[in-house]
Amino acid sequence: MGLFDSVKQALGVAAEADATREGDPEALFGLSTAAVTMEAQLDFAPADEAALCFSGVDSTAFTDARDEVAAVLDAGESETGTVFEFRTDAHGYDWVVLADTEFEDLVTSVHFAADTMQESGFGSRLLAAAFPFERDGTVAYWLYSFRRGSYYPFVPTGNRNHDSSTEFKLESVLDSELTIEEDKEYWYPMWPEGDARPWGRPLEPGE
Amino acid sequence: MEWKTDWGLRARMGFTMFLLFALYLVFAVVITTFFSGSAQLFLGLMVVFMGAQFFFSDKLALYSMGAREVSEDEYPQLHATIGRLAQQADLPKPKVAVADSRVPNAFATGRSQSNSAVCVTTGIMDTLSDEELEGVIAHELAHVKNRDVMVMTIASFLSTIAFLIVRWGWLFAGGNREGGNQAPVFVAIIASLVVWILSFLLIRALSRYREFAADRGGAAITGKPSALASALLKISGKMDSVPNDDLREQSEMNAFFIIPIKAGTIGRLFSTHPSTEKRVDRLRELEREMETQ
Repeated sequence: MGLFDSVKQALGVAAEADATREGDPEALFGLSTAAVTMEAQLDFAPADEAALCFSGVDSTAFTDARDEVAAVLDAGESETGTVFEFRTDAHGYDWVVLADTEFEDLVTSVHFAADTMQESGFGSRLLAAAFPFERDGTVAYWLYSFRRGSYYPFVPTGNRNHDSSTEFKLESVLDSELTIEEDKEYWYPMWPEGDARPWGRPLEPGE
Repeated sequence: MEWKTDWGLRARMGFTMFLLFALYLVFAVVITTFFSGSAQLFLGLMVVFMGAQFFFSDKLALYSMGAREVSEDEYPQLHATIGRLAQQADLPKPKVAVADSRVPNAFATGRSQSNSAVCVTTGIMDTLSDEELEGVIAHELAHVKNRDVMVMTIASFLSTIAFLIVRWGWLFAGGNREGGNQAPVFVAIIASLVVWILSFLLIRALSRYREFAADRGGAAITGKPSALASALLKISGKMDSVPNDDLREQSEMNAFFIIPIKAGTIGRLFSTHPSTEKRVDRLRELEREMETQ
């Protein structure tokens, strides 16, 4: 912890400063190469789906920003065929769920959405981007934390438990390709709703 | 999402801390000048004692409130809420505790960010809507983020020493030197009294500023200043109607509460928290800034 952080804490502005710090959507592109490794070395195939989680703000400007994200993704849909949907989960958090059989397009669309949010001045409200991968019915997620600027694996099993050994495997294998969160206290789970995804039922990719 | 930096608040906070620091510097000179080795040993013991108190602050506070840590199975919703808000605040998830009390309240404790606990009463969960509860929890997380337990512990450390000297300093009056002059000890006691009174007022002012700061921080975390405002109004309304008996026992914990329990007519200067009206006013200002940025 730096001196600057201590000063911010002493003045009581650390909470405000960190809660409004912007994320870095560019880091999302790192996942394109990671997906190749996931499939080639670990047999984990992309689940044709990705999602962006953000916490809403009670303001008109934010509603406008959301509409703009929808417009950008609408334009993208006709180009790449990436379908999308806005969802609200059980905790009241908002998601943009995207589906595409082409992983590259998926990453690009998530980046588009995140970047648009950032441009509208709400980059600090981006919480996480989630990319599910599948192997024999096991779903493993790579979560990108916009708050921390780092990735971490998340493999939920039923009943709010982690499959720690699979998480450890993913962490070890992809360590050189992704910026992985070192402090495991920040590996926040995003529990799936029932048997589905954290954002509810999976979204089917278009044809 | 951006709003104007509250330079006034930062300046007042900085100035208060500067005054406290200056006061303590003078005080340190006084006690080292006037007290002998045995008294300084006693002070050393106090340092150790208060250090331990700080180190175990999370457990002590929870224990004194009759709160217990709860698992994710018992309170999945509360855990999820605190987890998500911690994520937005860029904090590791704190321990979650619940106190079985009708008084609607919440507090945060712990010596560091990775050793903190957020406690809510069953009363506050019954009283507030989900959104309002989020506002309150975010306010508590802002306290954790700003390390208020540590700041307030350091700020009040020498004040406590000053109080102890006022109370027990006469014990060191005799036997310093055979037939020696005892006046210096009484000078020290008077000086300590002055330091104690002044530091008390400064610490209370600092505490109020930190509440404002935590309100801003909390609003930044949820993005909904209005949710915290309506929670504050709801709780303070409820506070007045709760019988006094079960409140008095908890008055020592007031500094860490979301809204302190009223204990008769305390002057504004002595209060650890700003008035609810003032806090709501400031939150309204944030709400307005969000709409007109």
